[in-house]
Amino acid sequence: MFHGRECPHCIAMMPHVDRLEKETGVEIERLEVWHNEKNADLMRSYREIIGPKCGGQLRTPTFMNTETNDILCGEVKYKELEEWATK
Amino acid sequence: MKKFWRCHVCNDIHYGVNPPETCPTCLVKKAYVEISSEEAKKISGHSEITLDKVDFRKAIEKFSEGNQFQVNPDQEKVETLLEGIFNCEKNHGMKYCPCRLITKNFEDDLKLVCPCNFRIHETYKDKEDGECWCGLFIRRQ
Repeated sequence: MFHGRECPHCIAMMPHVDRLEKETGVEIERLEVWHNEKNADLMRSYREIIGPKCGGQLRTPTFMNTETNDILCGEVKYKELEEWATK
Repeated sequence: MKKFWRCHVCNDIHYGVNPPETCPTCLVKKAYVEISSEEAKKISGHSEITLDKVDFRKAIEKFSEGNQFQVNPDQEKVETLLEGIFNCEKNHGMKYCPCRLITKNFEDDLKLVCPCNFRIHETYKDKEDGECWCGLFIRRQ
């Protein structure tokens, strides 16, 4: 999960991510991109994968499955996050 | 291609493809002449103008007046966003949207400076409850 410290959508998603990990055992790595340049560069390196799913931009939050390159972009309801993470 | 223009009467600076027909400051018509970016930098950098969070908040409220959008009434959200916007300026040089990462291509990243051109974005356009990507601006109800 690429997120920004002062991004309200990211802040809103955090309880969902915590719940997802607790209820399903799925592990989500949280990578802050506005205050950590290493994480920012990593997100930029996935621009061609993330962009088409996120309006051509590197939006936060962006959830990425690095095995399948499957992307979920933006603030969503818990059910949608769960379906994305467990499909 | 955008260029710099200077009002020869009052030294207003304009950056654009064409100069304004009338100078918005001194109201003189056909007053602009093309100048170099170096001259524009010297003129605009002559005065140290700061814009803190309170000033910026006033600026975006004024920007929203008479428009179809307004600053989000959710104060907590706005405070979080302003913190992020000002951290972006401090750490990355411009008031970038804290909900989108810069690409490091200056021209592309200008599209992320707040307020961005959110009226064309899918999160706002044609939506009754539209908002800019970060939620700082929402459609006026």
